[in-house]
Formats: sequence, C-alpha cells, structure tokens
Amino acid sequence: MPYLLTTIVFLPLAAVVICAMLPKDLAGAAKWVAATFMAIDVVLVGWLVAAFDIKGGIQAVVDVPWVPQIAVRYHLGVDGISLSMLALSALLGLIAVVASWKVEKSAGTYFAMLMLLQVGMNGVFVALDLVLFYVFWELVLVPMYFLIAMWGGERRQYASLKFFLYTLAGSVFMLVGIIALYLTTGTFDVLQLAGPEASRAIAAVPGLAGWVFLAFFLGFAVKVPIWPLHTWLPDAHVEAPTAASVLLAGIMLKMGAYGFIRIALPVLPGAARASAPWIAALAVISIVYGAAVAFAQKDVKKLIAYSSVSHMGFVMLGIASGTAAGLDGAVAVMFSHGLVTGLLFLMVGMVYDRTHTRQIADLSGLSSKVPAIGGIFAFAAFASLGLPGLSGFVGEFLSLLGSWQSTLVPHWMTVVAAVGVLLAAAYMLWMVQRVILGEPSEAVSRIRDITPREVVYVLPLIVLIVVVGVYWGSLLRFVDPAVQGIVTILARVA
Amino acid sequence: MSWLIAIPLLPALAFVLLAPLPRATRNALRWVPSVAMAGSLVGAIAAFATVLQSGAGEKPVYQASVVLATIGGKPLDVGIQLDAVAAIMLMVITVVGMCVQVYSLGYMHRDERVGWYFAVLSLFSAAMLALVVASDFLLLYMCWEVMGLCSYLLIGFWHEQETPRMASIKAFLTTRVGDVGFVIGLAIMYATVGSFGFEAVLHGFAWTPALATAVSLCLLFGAMGKSAQVPLHVWLPDAMAGPTPASALIHAATMVAAGVYLVARALPLFEVSQVALTVTLVVGTATALLGGLLACVQHDIKKVLAYSTISQLGYMFMALGTGSAVAGLFHLMTHAFFKSLLFLGAGVIIHAVETQDMREMGGLRKLMPWTTAAFTAGALALAGVFPFSGFWSKDEILVSLWNGGHYVVFALALFAAFLTAFYMTRLWFRVFGGPAQKADASEGHGDMIVPMVFLGAITLVVGFSSPYFATLLGEKGGWPDLAVALGSSAIAASGIVAGWWVFGKKAVDTEALKARFPQFYGIFANKFYFDRTYEFVFVESYRRLSDALWSFDAAVIDGAVNGFGRAWAAVAGGSWTFDARVIDGAVNGLGTGVRWIGARVRRLQVGRVQTYQRLVMAAVIVLVLWIALKGA
Repeated sequence: MPYLLTTIVFLPLAAVVICAMLPKDLAGAAKWVAATFMAIDVVLVGWLVAAFDIKGGIQAVVDVPWVPQIAVRYHLGVDGISLSMLALSALLGLIAVVASWKVEKSAGTYFAMLMLLQVGMNGVFVALDLVLFYVFWELVLVPMYFLIAMWGGERRQYASLKFFLYTLAGSVFMLVGIIALYLTTGTFDVLQLAGPEASRAIAAVPGLAGWVFLAFFLGFAVKVPIWPLHTWLPDAHVEAPTAASVLLAGIMLKMGAYGFIRIALPVLPGAARASAPWIAALAVISIVYGAAVAFAQKDVKKLIAYSSVSHMGFVMLGIASGTAAGLDGAVAVMFSHGLVTGLLFLMVGMVYDRTHTRQIADLSGLSSKVPAIGGIFAFAAFASLGLPGLSGFVGEFLSLLGSWQSTLVPHWMTVVAAVGVLLAAAYMLWMVQRVILGEPSEAVSRIRDITPREVVYVLPLIVLIVVVGVYWGSLLRFVDPAVQGIVTILARVA
Repeated sequence: MSWLIAIPLLPALAFVLLAPLPRATRNALRWVPSVAMAGSLVGAIAAFATVLQSGAGEKPVYQASVVLATIGGKPLDVGIQLDAVAAIMLMVITVVGMCVQVYSLGYMHRDERVGWYFAVLSLFSAAMLALVVASDFLLLYMCWEVMGLCSYLLIGFWHEQETPRMASIKAFLTTRVGDVGFVIGLAIMYATVGSFGFEAVLHGFAWTPALATAVSLCLLFGAMGKSAQVPLHVWLPDAMAGPTPASALIHAATMVAAGVYLVARALPLFEVSQVALTVTLVVGTATALLGGLLACVQHDIKKVLAYSTISQLGYMFMALGTGSAVAGLFHLMTHAFFKSLLFLGAGVIIHAVETQDMREMGGLRKLMPWTTAAFTAGALALAGVFPFSGFWSKDEILVSLWNGGHYVVFALALFAAFLTAFYMTRLWFRVFGGPAQKADASEGHGDMIVPMVFLGAITLVVGFSSPYFATLLGEKGGWPDLAVALGSSAIAASGIVAGWWVFGKKAVDTEALKARFPQFYGIFANKFYFDRTYEFVFVESYRRLSDALWSFDAAVIDGAVNGFGRAWAAVAGGSWTFDARVIDGAVNGLGTGVRWIGARVRRLQVGRVQTYQRLVMAAVIVLVLWIALKGA
C-alpha cells in the first residue's frame, strides 16, 4: 500500500478542484462531492487502522526526494500517535461536511475550503519531513481564515484576521527553528533528527537546542493554545461557523500538541526536559485559568472555547511529565477532546440554528422541550467534565498520574491540576443548569427536536466517546508503543 | 463463577436499553429495571451462598481481571472479585434496591418521566454493585463517579424547580471536592506501587508510614465527600429534594455508605498510618455529633432523616477509626435496612399528607397503621433499642471504642446515641402522635407497604447475625458485652423518655426556649454556619475571581495582543502609512466609540499583506544571518 497515505492526504484535494469548478447553478452538488470524497477518505483510514501493526513502528511509509538540492523529502508515515490523530481528522472532516449540509452561501467555495483544510490537517499528522510539515501546517491557515471570514458571525473580520496573524506569527518562529536545525544537521527529516547523529550535531553547538526548542515552543504553543497565548481562540471559535469550530477545536488545536510530541520532544529531548517544569506551570495555569474564565462566560460557544484552553492544559501537563502515563494521557485527551468538543460545538450549532442565540441567558429547558438535543448535549457536557466511563476521563486521569510520577513536575502542580477537574465540573454543570435544565425559555419554546441527519453525524462521536471511555485499550493500544519510543529518547538524556 | 459480572451488568444493560428510547416507550418499559434487579438479587444470593460454603474469611473466592490498557508497556488491570465483604454488600444493595424498585413502581407511576427515573436508578444500581465487586481502586473510583452522576440526576429529577436544580449541582460539586483527594491518592498509589489492585496495594507493598498517611488521608477525603462527613456534609440535607425512594436507596442505604466501604477496604493501609486512623475517628465523631444535634431542630421529615444519616455515617467512621472494619460494615448493613425503611415510610407519609413539614402532620398512627408499625420498627432500630438491628451494630461500635481505649470518644458516642433516640422520638410524636391534622390522609398502596413490611422484618431479625457477621469476615465474633449493652440501652431509653417528655407530654415549651435563647437557636437554625461560610468563602469568591480573570483576559492579555498587532501594523510599511492616515482620519472624524473599535480591526486588516511579507522577510533575514555567521 505505498500510495495509501498519499491518497488519504490528497483525496480531499480532488474534491477541492471539483467543488471550486462547479458552475453556480450546480453549487448544491458541492456537499455531495465533499461528502463522497470524505467518506472514501474515512474508509481508507479505516483500512489503514485495520492493517496497522501495533508493534510495527512507523508504517505506510513513503520517502522520496522532493527538493534534492536542500535535502527536502516527501516523507510520510504513521505511528500509533499519528494514526489516532489522522483517524480523528478524517472522521471529524466527514462530520463537518454533513453538519454543513444547510450551508447555501457560496456553497462551492465553502466546501472547497473545507476540503482544502482537510488536506492540511491530514498532512500535518503524517508528514515526517519538517518542510513538508511546515507546508501542511501553513496550508491549514488559509482555508480556515476564509471559512471564518466569509461564513462567520458578526465579528468575523476581526476574529479571522486575529486567528491568521496570531498563528502565523507563531509559525514563523517555528520556521526559524526548522531552518536552524537544517543548518546544524543537514536534514529536515524528523526521524533522522531524533537519531544519535543529529543529536550530537545539535549538542555540538552550545545553546542551540534551547533556542530552537523555544522557537518550536512558540509555534506550537500558540496553536495549542497555552496560556497566555490563547486569546485568538475564543474569538475564532465564537465567530466561526459550526463546522469550522468543530475542526478548529477538534483538530487544529491538536496540531500544536502533536508538534510537541512528534518534533520538539524527540528532536530536542534535553531542552524538553529542562523546560518541562515551566511548561507544566503554564499547563497548570491554563487548566485553572481556562476553567475559571469559562465559568464567567455568557455565550455557550465562548464557554466551550475557554474549556478547550483548560483541557489542552491537561495535554501539556502530560507532555511535560515525559512519562508514559503522561504522554498516553496527553494523546488520549487530544483524541477525546476532539470527539467531545466536536460534539459540544455540534450541539451548540443545532441549538443556534433553531433559536438564533447562543446566549446562556436566553436559553433554558432544552431537556424539557427537546429531550434528545438536551440529552445529547448533557452527555457531551459530562464527557467533557471527565466522567469515568466516557473518553474525557481517560486522558485527564492518566495525565495526572503521569505528572505525579514525573520527576520533572513538582507535586503541587499536579494537585492544582487535579483541582481543575473540580472546576471543570463547576463551569459545565453551571451551563447545564441554565441551558439544559429548567423550564423552557421563550427562545426554546417553539423549536423542534433532532432530525435524522443530525443523529447521523453525532452518533459516531457518541459511540466513540463511550467505547474509548469504557475500554481504554481501544485507543491506547495504538498510542502506547509509540509513546514508549519517546519516553526512551527522553530517558536517554536524563 | 464468571456469572458474578452479571450482577452489575444486568442493571447496566437495563439502562443501556432504556436510555436512548423516546419518553413514552421508556415509560411503558419502566418494569425492565425491576426485572434486571431481580436477576441481580438472585445472583447476589448465589454469591452469598458461595461465600458461606467456602467459609472464606478475608481471601476472595473468585477473581477475574481484564487489561484496561497498557501504559508504558505495563498492563493496567481492572477486575472483580468476590469475598465476604463483597457478598454482604451485594446482598444489602440488591435487597434494598429491589424493595426500592417495587416501592417506586407505586410511588412514581404518575410522573411523566417515570421511565427515566427507573433508567437512572438502574444505572446507579449497576455502578454500586460493580463498586463492591471491584478488586482494585481504579474500577472502584470509576463506579464511584458514575454513582455521583446518578445521584446528581436523581436529586435534580424535578429540575424545572429551582431547589432540586441547585441541590443537584451542590451535591455533585461537594462530592467532587472529595474526589480531588481521591484522585491524588490514586496518583500517589500508582507512582508508588504501580498498581491499583487491592492485593498489591494493601498487602503486597511495604508502605512507609509517611506515604501510607498521604494516601490514606487522600482516600479518606474522597470518602468524606461521598459519605457526607464534616466538613463535606453540606450536600446531603439538600439532596432530599430528589424523589423519596431515590433518597432511600442512594442517600441513605447505599451510595453514601460507599465512603465507609472504601475506608473499610483500605483499612490495612490506614493501619500502617496511625495518623489516618486518628483523623478518621475525629471526623466520624464530629460528624456523628453535628448530625445528631441538627437532626433535633429540623421540621422537614426528610431532613431529620438526612441529618440522622450523616450522624450514623459518622458512627461508622468512628468504628473504622478504631480499626474495626467489622463494626463499621455491620452498622453499614443494619443502617442500610432500617434507614431505607424510614425513608420509604416518610415517602408514604409525604404522599398522604402532601407536605414534608412535621408541624403540619400528627395523629397518623390511627390513619396509617401499617406505615406506623413499619416506621416505628425503623425508628426503634435507629434509636438502638433491643432487639432491633441498630442496637446490635451500635453496640459493636461502642465496644470497639471502649476496647480501643478511646474513652472520651466513647462518651461522645453515647451522647450521640442519646441524641438519636431523642430526635427520633421527637419525630415520632410530631408525625404519629397527638390529634390528626389531616383527617383525609390514608394508608399507602400495597406495592409501597409490602417492601416496608419486608424491610421492617429484616430490621427485627438481622441484628442477631452479629456474631456470625464477624466470623464471616474472618474475625473473632461473639455476643455483645453485657455492660456496654445495658449502658447503651439506658442511654437510648433516656433519650426516648426525654423526647416523650418534651414532645409527647409537651412538658417543655420549645417555642419559649427558642425565644429565650435566640443566639443559641440561631447557630442551629444556620446549620453551624457551614453553608453560609462556603457560600461566602468559596462560591462567592470563585465567582468574583472568575469575573476578574475574565476582565483581565479581555483587557490585559487580549489588550496586549491587540496592542502588539497595532504596533506591528504601525511599523509595517511606508506605503501603508498614507492609507492608514486617510482611513484613520476619516474614522476618527466620526469619532464614536463603536466605530473606533471597528477602525482598530480595519487597521489590522490593512496591514495584512504587509504583515505577512514582513514576517516572512524576518525569517529570511534570520536565515541569511545564520548562513553568514556559520560561514564566518
């Protein structure tokens, strides 16, 4: 299956071309095109998952020269971590298409953008060459910018621009880091950079590792986002159309965390260890700060956006721990957050489509008026606050275990992070209390319950949330072997 | 023995079946959980018989585990086991659970969401049953949290009303405060032992006292949340806003006892750390007294029972604090039966008189003879009167306190026993004594009476199992110490007499006492100011902190970002300056605040292309510099 990864990554590009070329009166066909291509993509990813050898390291590798003059290669491959992210990306991509079924404004362009975004997201998680990685990384920005700027809410211009510039500014630092690595080692290849030869070359230049790590940190931290680089997120989320919110929270935030796990940790393990306490401190601040600010929100979408800041803090805490439990936890939070926050945004989208408001004050009594929407919404809220048996618990719990176990993270930080679990329950239940429970409000009193199409796109998420939450191994059997490799590299420099 | 898993699985399946159905279908299928529960009851009896046959003591007669995941290549197991403690707990849960299910079919049948009620009750039963057969702290914790969810859903069952809604969130969050401790305890356990299994953690590891203290105290904190121990007791009285049969099962018999169960399980670890035992004893004593005192001043019949539950759970913690799992678990068992009985009785009474306020009741003994009889049996058990079950179990706790040399605590426990008899007598005379206030109140239906009579019968006989209970758990059993038994009976009698004197004979004017000592009464009326303090110190300050951080986020952090963006745009290029001046000038001329904000946005946009170029240029410059430096 030499072309499998290439096909998975670039299949949506075919949809981009078709959607973009559709004549105006056929624009309604764009969603069918996108859905078909994404469905094939999901099937192919399913095939990849089924054929994946859990103990087999990096698989489905393609490695050919791309720009031979400067040793840039077209190098793709997946291990368990990338595979889980790729699967999430494809699944949420398909769901985003189905959830956008009612988009009529410039539908051709809209679905073309959605599919272009998909190329970038898929690509980031399978690229093993830093230049390729960077290209995919930046590719994501453009369609997301247009999705927010053209199909967004009232303040879409401000939000989209802020999103674009902020993440771009971050990735420029990353570019500098990539170039510095290349100039030191002569390669852009992620696997080679993590090898002993490249490590020696990096270590030979005093101070280099620290600076390069900082550069990568800035690039990734903006994307995660880590406090205090998070303020683009609430704006982008609130203004983005539902499908874009789902992908933004579900996939794009993971790109930053994935960057840490795939590049920063294995390539610069010494610097990663040295900065671990600081990253953990920022992670813990993100957890508590995100939760506290979420508690104050009056707009449901903004509340979920700040909850993302809090949850991604658990990802960073796990990464900072450098332990197997912590890293397994980080990936599990990434995966689960994609499912759960995706579901939350879809539910908010459903409510907004019907009531035209996202203000908590205007919403009340969903469970009485529309029990299915209210019930699924509440389900997502409980998954988000880390109820055992649902996916949210797995990662947060492992992340806490790992950070306590770690010699790099002070114990008091783990304690504060554990309090974050309590705070998560506070903002989520307070939202449930006001939006889902109670007597139906004016805005809610005349709406209808979930439609079959909506059931279709939330059902896979619900099923996965339960499956991963009940049987952790369903996800971690893929992730853990890959994590062990990273832990080994980190242990080498201890 | 692989059928053991079916005991929790049956109710879980009933939930899975009912939960996704539309309301009407779910309501029609409300009997499904009862059938599942009957299956679990049969399983529990079989499990109990197996344990009896083997005469096993502490060792499990059955164990099975699955690998939940591998972490760093090491398997993380969760498993189930059957030992004497588990078998007894299974019996308690399924018997009380079955009674509550049958009772609920009558009590809840008119509710429009009755199907959902039974679904959640079923999920709760599944979680509680799984909790007691869990062979490790991880599975135990997971079930623990699921029970918390069910408790939340049932307390807030009538969520259209404000009170249940607020009570449910308060219950969930207060217990989660305890769970923060639990989770940290698990983290220490994992980092130290590398496993959550009971066997590995409790018997297979040489704990240092310091670490054992840390883990024990963390677990204890979790248990205090779930079992409503001071200072985390505040949620339980409020939880009475839920349907009464749910209170009987969850907030009296089973879930709130899970904390006791947890500490009893972890007792070997507590014993390594004497500190943790002492703390358990102190917490239990404080809780038993506080609950007893506050139960004396409640007017809501369910709140009397709720504070009584708090007090009795404190009793169980006292037993555990002396290191006696047997006494704690025995009281857990007897309490589960008689307290669920009292709650079921309260439910019938509330249905009949349509109020929870005892001042509007009275004289029900003539109108509701069955309920009166059953309730009285429960009340006598709670008061510790021979031969009812509470007498035996309270006695064992007193003996364990005396034998442990905790004489002060022993005296306080006697005082708490006096209070118990006193407030139950007060309740009895208020509800059943005196002239009838509501003449049309009538006895409950058969499906509600039968479970109560059944529980009443258990209450009458189960105490005699006292010596066998200890033997079953692998300890030396025997009949109670006569001196202690006589002493505690005298105390119970004096409490009843005092209660009769004040509330039956009305020899003391309680209203006059209230008026005479208003400050003193105020302390009681304000529940010792726990709720007020928490409201002020935690809830209100968190709300303020949250608002302050939100303002900080918008003004300072985001302000810095916007400021940076503007500054960058300002230096971003010569050609831009002209445009900006024209646009800015025009906009500033219009001058309103809203437009000014719009202009800020627009300014950033104007700089877009240039900004992008600048950023890329910066990267290129660094690149060139690097090559130059490296070359040099």
